[in-house]
Amino acid sequence: MAAEPKPLRNVLLSPEVVTGEGVPRKVRLRALVKDTDERLLVEAAQRDPSRFAELYEQNFDRVYAYVSRRVRTREMAEDLTAEVFQQALAHLGDFEWRGVPFVGWLLRIASNALADGWKRVAREQELPADEELGSNSDLERWAMLSKLVDTLPADQKQVILRRFVDQRSIRDIALELGRSEGAVKQLQFRALQALRARVRRNHD
Amino acid sequence: MINSDVFDRLDQAIDEQLADPERKLAATTQIAGMLEVAAELRHMPSEEFRSRLHNSLEEQAAALQTKAGRNHGERVVAMRRRDLEAAIMPSLFGSGNSAYPAQRANFVASFVMHSAAIALLLTSGLWMAGHRDAIVNRGVTLITGASEYVLPPATTRTGGGGGGGDKEHMAASNGSAPRFAREQITPPAIVIRNDHAKLTADATLVGPPNIVLPQTATLGDPMSNVLAPLLNGTGSGAGIGSGTGGGIGSGFGPGLGSGIGGGVGGGVYRVGGGVSAPRALYAPDPEYSDEARKAHYQGSVILWVVVDANGRPQQVKVARSLGMGLDEKAVAAVRTWKFQPAFKDGHPVAVQVNVEINFRLY
Repeated sequence: MAAEPKPLRNVLLSPEVVTGEGVPRKVRLRALVKDTDERLLVEAAQRDPSRFAELYEQNFDRVYAYVSRRVRTREMAEDLTAEVFQQALAHLGDFEWRGVPFVGWLLRIASNALADGWKRVAREQELPADEELGSNSDLERWAMLSKLVDTLPADQKQVILRRFVDQRSIRDIALELGRSEGAVKQLQFRALQALRARVRRNHD
Repeated sequence: MINSDVFDRLDQAIDEQLADPERKLAATTQIAGMLEVAAELRHMPSEEFRSRLHNSLEEQAAALQTKAGRNHGERVVAMRRRDLEAAIMPSLFGSGNSAYPAQRANFVASFVMHSAAIALLLTSGLWMAGHRDAIVNRGVTLITGASEYVLPPATTRTGGGGGGGDKEHMAASNGSAPRFAREQITPPAIVIRNDHAKLTADATLVGPPNIVLPQTATLGDPMSNVLAPLLNGTGSGAGIGSGTGGGIGSGFGPGLGSGIGGGVGGGVYRVGGGVSAPRALYAPDPEYSDEARKAHYQGSVILWVVVDANGRPQQVKVARSLGMGLDEKAVAAVRTWKFQPAFKDGHPVAVQVNVEINFRLY
């Protein structure tokens, strides 16, 4: 049985662990390459803001996953995510590369934005404590799930998005897609089954 | 083959999960894992939001780029300006090569003063152009050398003096003085002590060479009443008389008379022979008389002036007149002058000088 790698969050957020003992060599090299590429990308975006779109695409899923687990509604998650990236772009010149991945900076902005948001809604809503919301490995898993959905067949992906993102009923989806409810349920089943398998495979 | 009931049970559980996310569902092993995935899929972002935010950020980036470009352009212009400034006047703009920082305040003060000076020059030039007729040239010359302007013989003591003698018990005998020369090689003597001098030179007194005194065959003190015997006098230092030095008379020096230094007579000194020239410290120009201005009359006035030991002009007299009221104007102006007095042997002495004042109309 292969040795279980260190939690991925350490590889991403703590550069000294990248070279530490116990981290598989393959993971260390991949992290180093990632750091170098990301650093170049950040520096390019600092010179040319239009390059920020690449940073956005790389980090959107993580930021959204981080925020969405900490707010009640989808609207709040979207507002806060938008605020995080807008602030990041506006203050990109202030970012200094110190070996910490760019997403760490984004999550700090998100954390501050959440703290501000919480102050506003704390009196009205009971929000979960930060420590109850899972570790960074969970964050990576959530972010990965979004990418895995993209790998599904088109009809399965469409059903998943309508069902979970839009939270529509099977009947509505069946009407929209022009298929029977049973067929849509089967597509939903197949999609979830595939996603579960892929999550497990990636986790292992 | 999967039973369609499983699809229905899964969908029902998902419905319940979406309705109440906090609710714990009892599910079979087959669908429990899929429900875990389904729970997380609830938090998936919508494609529409992702795309909308992407577009929004692109617009924001474009705006930033425009602003940055504008700022960059401004920075480039500022840098070029700084470079240009540094290239033109590096010290003024504080980027000189000196080890000490340039004080810009000094340069600003210098700039202001220079600007004021230039403005003054321009305005004065314009003023002069507008008052051309009223401007006169009142050139002033202080004649300090041995005067080429020969003054008329004075009725009082007007010159230097001299004296000498052989420390005899009787006064010098009467006779005529030798001629005047700029320098004295041989002092006058009635009684020649060295009959066999190898180098001989005529006896002279120091004074203006063009002063001519009556000459007789015998040298002596013209002021003496002693006719005989022939004696050099009671003074010392060669010469004739009761004084000291190489001159004739009771004075001191190589001149003639009771004064000191070269020249004739006594009283004030003349410049030369160890007497420095006085120097005008305050010398306002004389005014031009209305009469002379209207007549466009020009010329020079020479004044005879005694500058006393305090540097004040005394006995200002007209030596060469010009007329039309300019003489009076010149005298009036010179009376207000202040001099650094003439010095002899480190002491201020009264001295006679001539002052030439030129009156010119532009």
